[in-house]
Formats: sequence, structure tokens, C-alpha cells
Amino acid sequence: MNSKAFNKYKFLALLLLLVAVLYPFFLADVLADPVTEAATSTANDTFWLFKLLGRLHPLAVHFPVTLLCLAALLEVVTLKDFNSRLRPGIDLLVILGAAGAVLSALLGWMLAGQEDYGGDTLAIHRWTGVATAVLGIMAAYLLYTIEKQNRWELIKYYRGLILFTAVGVTAAGHYGASLTHGDMYLTSVIPWSDDYEGAPGSKSNFSLVSLKGNNKLSHEQEIELNTQVRAIFAHNCYKCHSSDKIKGELRLDQKDMVFKGGKHGQIIEPGKPHESEIIRRINLPRSHKEAMPGKGKPLSKEDIQLITYWVEKGAPWPDKGQKNIFRVAELKPRNPSLPKATQNLQNPVDLWVNEYFKKNNVAWTNVVSDRIYLRRIYLDIIGVVPTPEELDAFAQDSRADKRNIWVRQLLNRNDDYALHWLTFWNDALRNDYSGTGYITNGRTNISDWLYKSLQSNKPYNQFVKELLNPGKGSEGFINGIKWRGVVNASQRTEMQAAQNVSQVLLGLNLKCTSCHDSFISDWKLKDAYAFANIFSDSTLEINRCDVPTGKMAETKILWEELGTIEEAAPVKEKLRQLAENLTKPANGRLYRTIVNRIWAQMFGRGIVAPVDAMDNEPWSQDLLDWLASDFVARNYDLKELIYLIATSKTYQLPSVKIMDEQKINAPDFRFAGMLRKRMSAEQFADAVSSAIQPVYADSAVQYKHFPELKPEQASTPFVRASLVKNDGFLTALGRPNRETVITGRDSQANLLQALELTNGKAFNAVLKRGADSWVARYKDSDTIIREVYRKALGRAPVPKEINVAKQVLGPTPNSEAVQDFLWAVVLLPEFQLIY
Amino acid sequence: MHSKWNRREFLKTASAATLGALAAGAPMAGLLSSCSSSSDKNKKLLESDAVKQRLANSTADTVILLWMAGGMAHTDTFDPKQYTPFEKGLDSNRVLSTFKAVPTVLDGVNFSEGLESIGKIIDKGTLIRSYVAADLGHILHSRHQYHWHTCYEPPQSVAAPHMGAWIAKELGPKNPVIPAFIDIGQRLTLGEGEELKAFHTSGFLGNEFGPFMIPDPTTGLDSVKPPVGMSYKRFEKRNELYNKLISESAFGEFGSDYQKESLRRAMEQSYMLLNSPEAKAFDLSTEPKESYDIYNTGRFGLGCLLARRLTEKGARFISVTTEYVPFMGWDTHENGHTRMKGMKKEIDAPVAQLIKDLERTGHLDRTLVILASEFSRDMMLEGRPGAEVKHQVDQPTIINDIKNYGMHRHFTDGCSILMFGGGIQKGHVYGKTADERPCKTIEKPIKIDQIHQSIYHALGIPEDAHAIIEERPFYTTPDGVAKPVMELFGKKEVKEDTEEDEVKEA
Repeated sequence: MNSKAFNKYKFLALLLLLVAVLYPFFLADVLADPVTEAATSTANDTFWLFKLLGRLHPLAVHFPVTLLCLAALLEVVTLKDFNSRLRPGIDLLVILGAAGAVLSALLGWMLAGQEDYGGDTLAIHRWTGVATAVLGIMAAYLLYTIEKQNRWELIKYYRGLILFTAVGVTAAGHYGASLTHGDMYLTSVIPWSDDYEGAPGSKSNFSLVSLKGNNKLSHEQEIELNTQVRAIFAHNCYKCHSSDKIKGELRLDQKDMVFKGGKHGQIIEPGKPHESEIIRRINLPRSHKEAMPGKGKPLSKEDIQLITYWVEKGAPWPDKGQKNIFRVAELKPRNPSLPKATQNLQNPVDLWVNEYFKKNNVAWTNVVSDRIYLRRIYLDIIGVVPTPEELDAFAQDSRADKRNIWVRQLLNRNDDYALHWLTFWNDALRNDYSGTGYITNGRTNISDWLYKSLQSNKPYNQFVKELLNPGKGSEGFINGIKWRGVVNASQRTEMQAAQNVSQVLLGLNLKCTSCHDSFISDWKLKDAYAFANIFSDSTLEINRCDVPTGKMAETKILWEELGTIEEAAPVKEKLRQLAENLTKPANGRLYRTIVNRIWAQMFGRGIVAPVDAMDNEPWSQDLLDWLASDFVARNYDLKELIYLIATSKTYQLPSVKIMDEQKINAPDFRFAGMLRKRMSAEQFADAVSSAIQPVYADSAVQYKHFPELKPEQASTPFVRASLVKNDGFLTALGRPNRETVITGRDSQANLLQALELTNGKAFNAVLKRGADSWVARYKDSDTIIREVYRKALGRAPVPKEINVAKQVLGPTPNSEAVQDFLWAVVLLPEFQLIY
Repeated sequence: MHSKWNRREFLKTASAATLGALAAGAPMAGLLSSCSSSSDKNKKLLESDAVKQRLANSTADTVILLWMAGGMAHTDTFDPKQYTPFEKGLDSNRVLSTFKAVPTVLDGVNFSEGLESIGKIIDKGTLIRSYVAADLGHILHSRHQYHWHTCYEPPQSVAAPHMGAWIAKELGPKNPVIPAFIDIGQRLTLGEGEELKAFHTSGFLGNEFGPFMIPDPTTGLDSVKPPVGMSYKRFEKRNELYNKLISESAFGEFGSDYQKESLRRAMEQSYMLLNSPEAKAFDLSTEPKESYDIYNTGRFGLGCLLARRLTEKGARFISVTTEYVPFMGWDTHENGHTRMKGMKKEIDAPVAQLIKDLERTGHLDRTLVILASEFSRDMMLEGRPGAEVKHQVDQPTIINDIKNYGMHRHFTDGCSILMFGGGIQKGHVYGKTADERPCKTIEKPIKIDQIHQSIYHALGIPEDAHAIIEERPFYTTPDGVAKPVMELFGKKEVKEDTEEDEVKEA
């Protein structure tokens, strides 16, 4: 046995030993791999063997990749001598590695087919994997050629190739890890990376990683840690352990109370998590009687770690420099300077959206066609669909700026505009509620004032002033509904006024806070009472959860920097001061709230969402702030705001489809254009009236006695649904009862609605009347089909559609067949959606 | 073209999944978002597992609420006291009951004359004699009714859902083609109609869970069949046209989104219902005459019949009301005695027959029937002892006219509720009222949140079921603290951990 051979066997034996020792570790790693865990919960029809093989991918992949990397490393080590003692070992590594890479690529392909993987990362992983396998084979083949055919000149190519293969293996491995562990797996621990977990302002939880091993926390770190812990308390514990409900005599909302502990003594031993009652309780199994939280979800592992770490670090709770637990929007207006106009973009909305698009990698696309644009602005500005004549006129209009001109013309149709926006404001101001007001006539109708305000495009600051400090015509909004009998203190009319003013005008939810200190914001009970007191003749006594506290309310605006209210003044004077103070330009919140509402009406989602939670983060702070400031600068003109938006390129982008409604208000929402919307009940009724047959007779109008409301001034030859009393048809389609404030309607269809549309008496009667008149007007099916499509959908039918319709209509249709055709057309999503 | 094929395939599978989910008893919420992402789908599956688990622990699948609208006097119905017959010059203060007491099938338990049929079947359920309505001050029927049906006192800052809407949300329909929440007999166009609408609603849960209103049981079929004058054949043809127009539509280029899908799903469901054999259950004319006649005491009686037929076909929650119209029905502000006779006649036979029929067909075991009213009445007391409120009716001390003989004032401190089936104890009496005026609850007072929790308990809905509205939890009963009354189910009371539950003021 020569020494070379001996070395060769020795090396092989060593290698096998290494494999034997390391293999269990690989296996353990693979079994703990989330891929395999996820795999067990996914079921489908793939043949089991393929599934099994697919799931061997993670197992197969770890080993050969190491071999290839090791081969490359050894190749570098033996750079000087190709035929070093290690040669046979390297050869083996390359061959095994290449074979293994091919196998893992195959298995990986199977795995990707059956699991819920997809997207760019998968594609990159797949192709780097395949490339690695191919490179490995090529390297092995080169090696073979070199050694068997002595073509030494190929050595440098082989070596380049094997190094390159190692790089490929690393890349494939990285993307594989990103698939299973998330794409920030690596970067999140690198301090200079954007994904760094401990970055200031980072949305993820306080980074334990960045602090581990740190003996002393800085003051800022203490504040950060403490804030995070308090946020956990607020979201999970305040319900039972704060000012309103103090179970076990424990309060977690105030520093001294937290350290005082509950009736079983202290809950925190600073520095000693293992001796702290709170740590014991939150770690107990859910079924344990003493487990905390006793109600609701258990704390997440991260939350428990964070609290434990906080206690370990001595439970720091600095008194200075405390941050708010909840995000609070800036009150002051802000007027960011507009980005420079470009050749393609001049509208300020577009300039801001362009900034956003650049940052978020959204590409501008072509604007929508004339037909879609016209339908959109008609429905958004005056609430009706354009007639075929209007569509033709628009198509034939050859002026370059015709879209701007037509938007302006629509805005100038004052009555049509008012009749559309009446619906939005009736919902928001809970006006047009036709109950008896629970015997007290508590709900004074403000329709007349509202209509006049919209028709004359009253400046919004004036509009708000008249709602807050009302004359006879507009007093209904702050008066509230008064039920007969004893009412919960949080629902007294003054508190209703405080709640509704803050929700509708300021995008702030005071409802929780009017009963107890909020645990979804930093607002306190006394703030709500101080605000409600402005609407009260006599000083209100603060009630907590309907129990009088003996404390009398102060009189304050929620944001004191907006000005003071004279406590002793009569209510009329207090309201005057409130109206003046709240409408000041300094109150950026008031104007951000309204521009955001208008934006949401037009785009299907606000810049901030939901529209009643203006403390939430906007997807573009600059756009929101600029729009609000511009709105003030243009004399609070709602029509100018709508004009600006409707003529922007942004508004003209194709509508965006959303498959999951939940995603709309999610924090990771990415704006890319208008979301497809569903017509409101009123828009649907009006569209049917316009295209098919008037839905309502003149007699259905309920506001004839209001002098300002003269629908005959409207240019539509039918009764608008916003003027009629709520009925079963409108209710089914989503018109609310308006007993409470509604700032957005259901956008999902449902069974009750479909039933109303399918067999509802009133709607069928409309279609029947429509069919009779269509048959009388037009002789043949072709004309009817063409006209219905033109009027209802604003386009000509395609041949296939004509064929389908003709199968039902025949050549000369009867009234029944036409009725069925009309029904089918108005129920098409194309008719019912705004896109 | 390829994408189009996918879309159609998608619709096909989506609707198959929909039916599957419904059959498994998954809530409608899951159904309507079955088009969402795969992780969501898994979530929905888990949810439906949770639902299955609940159903496994439940004692009832269906609830029928028989609503005695307008305030049913306990002393003239299920809790009779000393009878004082009418005579000229009668002292009002002496009158506790205006009818004789008659024995029931239960020893020592009497009902007021005119309720003999129910008296014969009361051994199949539990008689609660100690319901205490809320003290809402100056009485208003619609406000108390709101409170009874939603468990929240109006006004509320958000629209509170009706009990039926909660049940529809938590459990979904029992049979996919029968709406989960059916409301029979109440028209919303009469006096206080708007106030009634305020609680005949799914509130913030969304229209999807709202009531399917059948104001008149005799025309119930109209609500679930093709429009009047349309044959089933034409109806089918029309639906076919609709589906073809969608698939051939030039709108196809826009692809699908959640709104389009939800429109299509809703239309499919509606078509399924209108075209299903179950829809025949709504047709009272197919009921054998002798059975029909027993039920036919008026709209309420026929409502009971419709409720029975729907229960047999798989309804989830049905409310049948005697209908609330101010000063009508049980709202006896005058001539109480005479009108009471009529009201008892209207309910006695059909309620008894409903229970018997459900028992005979084996449905009573899993159907909880409740008979209740917003509060009771008394001849003298308005409100409750210690918290009397402004009288709404003049009651002369000396009665000379029979129209002044009756329970004309509103009384909130002692009302009767009947419960049958669905795990409820048989032949049991719960609670007691005083035998002398004020005839108020003196044993085991039971309140509305306990009633609600007991109903939810029977259905397997947990005590802390809630929805998140405006970022805060809103429970089925205020703060989710009430417990079911286990005695109603013949079980030991769950001992409350009073120590943990104590609430202190700051």
C-alpha cells in the first residue's frame, strides 16, 4: 500500500466519520424547520410519494451544498498544487456535491409545487438552485476531463467554475432561508440595515437582540423598553387592571400602582424575574386559574420575553421623557413644499403620489379610457351614470383639457351635486332619521340647511361653525337623540354631541372615553367630560361607567392649544367660542379629517384608514398635510378639493382590485390607485332610474315642504333616491337607519340584498314597468339589446352578449323576456360597481 | 383566455367550498371570505373547527322566540294572584288578577284562565316567574324591547346587534338555504316603526347577519319564491341568462375582486334558496287543514306554524311576534280584561301545539323555545316599587266601567318567561313573585343578560363571544360578565369567583 493510497483511504474514512457525526445535527435542524411544520397542515391532492419526496428537499439540501463549498475551499487551499494529497478527497466532494445538488433541485421543485410558496423569492431560490446543480455537474465533468484525459489546461476553468458554484450555493441557500424564515432573517440583525429590529422608530417590538449582553441601558433605551411594556399592559391588561376595573386591587396603568402591587402583594421584584408574581402568572398555562390575562388572548412569546427582560433590567420606568403609548397625529397644519413639476406631472396630487410611488416602487400606468373616466366622475361628483348622449359628446370633444372642463361642468351642476353628497352627509350627521325621536322629537331634521349648504358650496369652516354653533336650521346635529326615561350617563345628549363632533369632524373616537379612561388611546374620562360640558347648560358631573364620581367636569376643548372656553358663559356663548376655536386654521386635524373623507369617497380608501381614526398613520403624510393646507388656502372650498383630485392623473389610474376586504384597512396597505367601489343604495337606484325606468314616483319625495329643496332644479328627469324616505329596498342595499353616525357603508353583498333584488316586490314592479315601456318604444331585440347596454353600461354589447341575450329575447321580444333581460343587466357587477 | 378559465374554475370551486362550509355549519363570515388568501382559508378552517367544538357542547341548534309584544301582565297569564271579579264600585287597589286561576299539569302551579292548553304542556319546560326588567325610568315600550333583544340599553353609541344577529354570526345558518335569522310578524311601517328598526338589525355586525323579515306569515312564501307572476321555469331561465351575461361580459377583462365575488355569491345563495325544496316550508297552504286550523288563531298563530315548519327544515333563529303596535295587542292601556281574553286565545292553542308538534317530530330536544315580553303590567303600579315613574294611564280608584278593569300600567319588577326544549329542565318552576301588591320578584331574580347567556349557553356560544368595533370589544352581553343560569338546564350553578370579579372604584 503506497502512501498516496493510504492517504486516500484515510481521508475517505475521516470524511465518513465527519458525515456520521454531523448528520444527526442536520436531521435535527431539518425536523425543526418551519417548512416541515407548515407542510403537515397543508392538504391537497398530490400523490403522497411526491409529497414525501418534496419534503425531503430541506433534508437533502443541507448536506451536498456543504460538500460543494468545502470543495471550493479546499481548492483554494491547494491552489498551488492541483495534485495535492487532498485531490482524491476534493474529487469525491465535487462528485457527491454535484449529485446531491441535482437531487435537491429535483426535490425542491416538488416541494414548491405543493406548498403555499410563491413570489419572487421562490423564483430566485428555484433558479439559483437549478443553476447550482448545473454548475456542479459542469465542474464535475471538467474535473473528469482533466484527470482522465489529462487536459490540464482546463484546470483554471474548473477552478473558476467550482468557486462560482460555491457562490451560487450560498445564494440559493440564502433565498431558501428567506422563504422559510422570512426575508429579513439575515438583515434584521445587521445594525446598518433598513430591516434592523432595534432601529429607532421601528415598528417591530423592542429588540432584545440589540440589548442582550448590555449591562446598563441608556436613558433612551429605558424609555423605549418601558413604553413597549406599557403598550403590552394597555392592550392586554387595562381592561381589568386600570382606573375603571381594578380586579385583585391591581392597577397597571400608573407607575406607583404597578410597583405597589395588588391584594396579594407586590407583583414585581425588580431585577428578579423568577421571584416576580407577574412573570409567574403570565407564564402559567391557559387553563390555570391564576393564569394572566384571565380574559382574552394569552400574551405572545415575544411579549412575555419583553416583560421578563424589563423586570430583569430592574423594571425601569423613567419619569422624564415619556412617550405616548399610542400613535398621536400632529394637530398643527403642515405645508410641505411641493416637489417640482415634471413634464408629465403638474397636478400637486400627482407630484406627492409620484414621491410615494418612487419610494414604494409603484409604476405609473396609463390613465383610464374616456368612457370609464366619465362614468367615474359622474358617479363620484353627482352620483348618477352618464347618459349615452353625454358619453358621445365627451367622446367627440376634442379639446386637450376636456377632462378638466367636464369635471368643472359637473361641479357646477349645483343641485345634482347637492343631491349626491346629501347621502354622504345624512349618514355622517345622522340626519334624515324619520323616527319619532322617542317621543321627544329629539332629532331635529337639518335637511333643508344641509341641502342649501351643499348647493351653495358653503365654505367648510363656515359649515362646521353652523353645525357647532347652530341656528334653527342646523341644530339637529348636536342636539342628539333623547330617549324617554333614564339614560346611561355616557349617552346623555351632551355626551352624544361630544362623541359625534369628535368622530365626524375630528376623526377621533371618544366613545370609550365617555364612560372610562380609554385603553385604546391616551384620552381620559375627564377630557371627554370637559368637552361635553361645552354643550351643557349646567356643569356636568363626571360619571365613570354610569356611576357618579362626585367630581364636576371642567370645560375644555380636547386640545387646549386651540383656545379656551369660558366656563361660566351661557351655552350659546360656549358654542360660539367652540366653533371659532375648532375652525381655526391652526386646527390641522379638522381639515385633514375632511380632505381624508373626500379622498376616501373618491378612492375607496382614505390616506388614513379607517376614516374615523385620524391618529393612524397615513400612507403619505406629505400628501395629507399638503391637501389639508391647500384646502384652507383655497377658502375651505370642497368643490375645489374635488376638482383637484378628480383632474389628477392619480385619480385617472385604472381601478385596483382587492381580493380580501380585510386588506383595505391593514397597516401594510400600498396605494396604487382607486379601489373598486360598490355603488351606494342611492347610486344604484338612480342608475336604474336613469338607464331603465324611474324607481321612485314624485310622491315618494319626503321633503317637499322644505323651501330650499327644489329637486325640479336638478337636471335628472327622475326622482333622486337621496330624497325619498328609507324603504326596504334601500335598507337592503345598505342605506343605514341613521340612528347612529355612519361614515362608511358595507361594501360586501349579502343574501338579504340579493333576495331583495331577485324577488323584491317594489324592484320587480319597476322592472316590469320598464319592460312595458321598452317594448312599446323599440320593436326588435337588436335595438333593445344595444340600447340597454348603451344606457346601462355605456358601451355597445359584444357579439357574444348579443347572442346570449337573443336566446332569451327572440327576434321580437315580449314584455316578460325584456323584463328578465333588464334584470340580468342591472345585476351585473359591471353595472353595480364603480371602476 | 387562460385567465378566464381560471376565474371560472375559481368560481366553481369557491361555490362548492361555500356549500361545504355551510353544511359543516361554518359561520357566514367564513363563507363570504372564502375567496381570500390561503392563510386566511386555514384560519377559517380553524374557526369552523371551533364552531364544531361549540356545537358539540351545545344542547340546542335552533331558537324560537315567541314575543309577547307590548307588556304581558304576569298576574293575568302565567303567575295568577288573588282573583277579584268585576263589579261596579270595585276598589282598584284590591285587584291583583282579573281572571280565575286554573290548575296546570304541574302540581301546585296555576295559570290564569284561558291558558289551559299551555297549562297542559308546561311539564315539558321551565316556567320562570322572576324576570326583572331593567329600570329605564319613564316607560317606553320600544326602548325596553330594544334592551330585551340586544341586551343593551338604548341609546348606544354604536348600533347594537339583535340576539338573532349574534347567533347568525356565531353559528351561521343551520341549513344553508334557510336564512339564519328570521323575523316573523312585525311590520316596521306602523307607530314607532323607526324605533323598532333600531333593534331589528344586525347593527355593526353588518347586513349579512340581519333579519329576514316576514311581516305576514301567510305570505311568507312570497319572500322565498320567484317574483309574483313568474314561473319557476322562467325564473331559472332568467338566472341562466344572468350567469351567461357575466361570463360573456366584456367586463371580464377587469378580472375579479371581493366585491364582484360577493355579489355573485349572494346571487347564487338567493337563487339556491328561491329554487330549493326547503322553500316549500314557507308555504302554509301545504299544511294539512286540521293542523292549520289549530294554529290559525291569527297572524301570531300562523307565525308559530311557520316557525315549526322552518325548524323542521333547519332554521337557526326565528322570532315570532304578536306584533308591537302602540296601544294594541298586549299593550293594554284600557279595557285590559276584555282584551286579555282575546290575546290569550290568540296564543294558547298555537303555542301548545308548537311544543307538541316539535316533541312529536323529535325536534324539541334540540330546539329552545322561549316565550317572553319586555315587561309586565299592574293595575296600580307604574314602573317598579321604589322607582315609580309618571303614570301613563289614569286609573280610577273606584271602577265603575269595565273598560277600567284590567292591567293598564307598566310593571317591571316581576314578569313570566316560558322556556321549552333545547336542554331546558322539564316541569320546573324558577323564581317567585309576591302574592300581595306589589307582586314583585321575591326569589331568584333573573335579568336580561342572564337570559341571553342561558340561550347562548344552550347553543354552545361562549360567554365572552364578542366583536371588535371601533377598536374595542363589544360582547354579546355587556362586558361579557353575565353567566348562564345553570338551574334552567337542571345543572348546578357555576360558582362565581367573586373574589376575582370584585370591581373597585379608583
